[in-house]
Amino acid sequence: MKKFVLLLLLTSSPAFAHAKLVGYDPAANASVKSPTMIKLKFSESLEPAFSTASLSDSAGKILPVPKSVGGATITLLPIGLKPGAYHVNWQAVGHDTHKLSGSFVFKVIP
Amino acid sequence: MILGAARGVYYVATMLLFGGSAFETLLRAKLPVITPLRWQSLRWAVLILALLAALAWLGLAARQMADRLDGQILARTATDTLFGQIFLLRLVSLLGLTLLMTFRRCRKLAVALAALALALPAATSHAAQASPAGFIAIGATLDGVHLLACGFWIGGLAVLAMLFRRKEPNIHLALSLFSDGAIVAVMLLVMTGLINAASILLGHGTPAPLYLGVLGTKLALVAVMLGLAAINRFRLMPRAYDSMIPRNAALELGLGLTVVMLAGALGHLQPVL
Repeated sequence: MKKFVLLLLLTSSPAFAHAKLVGYDPAANASVKSPTMIKLKFSESLEPAFSTASLSDSAGKILPVPKSVGGATITLLPIGLKPGAYHVNWQAVGHDTHKLSGSFVFKVIP
Repeated sequence: MILGAARGVYYVATMLLFGGSAFETLLRAKLPVITPLRWQSLRWAVLILALLAALAWLGLAARQMADRLDGQILARTATDTLFGQIFLLRLVSLLGLTLLMTFRRCRKLAVALAALALALPAATSHAAQASPAGFIAIGATLDGVHLLACGFWIGGLAVLAMLFRRKEPNIHLALSLFSDGAIVAVMLLVMTGLINAASILLGHGTPAPLYLGVLGTKLALVAVMLGLAAINRFRLMPRAYDSMIPRNAALELGLGLTVVMLAGALGHLQPVL
């Protein structure tokens, strides 16, 4: 029994108990060539019905971008982004019904 | 905070339904010398409380996820989220329990349905989300066992309180039977609680001070409950009967209900910053 408990504790994955953003591509404040995919990875599985992300340009205009939510990832598929600064705003709801939100910026270079 | 309170009230009600029915069934099977309790009206009151708390929990969680609440949001929450699907299963369990109580049939099935209503929220708990390597079933099972063990302890104490109140002449037999089951329940409760707390808090990041404060208060109250249970079991019960036992058991029950309300609040707080 002790071994089992120890195994559980040692194999614990990062535990936040709320869906936190743990990885994203492009990275925040990165300068990249026009990306065709923006990936946001969260610490736990999301509720697709209430989790979303949007992309807006430097003027604050929200761009129509196909998106999908699956498992612990939100994916945006932009096409032909022009050089400039872009904001990614996200809202993540985990199975525990708690909501977290945030945003980051990246820059597209010619 | 209202969401935490709704969750706490739901747990209190379903623990009384499950633990009370389970210990009562055990009493009927093992100690026919004890006349069955007549607590139908209290059971109905607790069942209605559980249904109302479940509905309030759904509505408040839907508003938390969508920032607003209307019929469409409520329907989306109930059908398109894991929490909502679990809510529907809980609702079916409670409605099944309503039917069984109406027709006074199948006590064992009623215990099973109450157990389902109590343990199902574990699937969307912090412990489930913090499961090792993302296997939600591990944390959900541990949390489910934690809830059921606590339910047996709290519900059993409530049944004992009713027996004390009617001055049951064979109370020492009931105490002995409860004590045997409660020892197993408390061991499971402590073991699963420690594993859950470790898996929730031992992640990347700093444990949130508020969460730690509430958790610490909860653990301190549980320690007092364990102390009272140990005094009852190992000091007072060997004397066959002692007038301090009912007082200690009532105090233990009161502390237990407070602990469950705190557990409801914990489910609403962010554990790690």
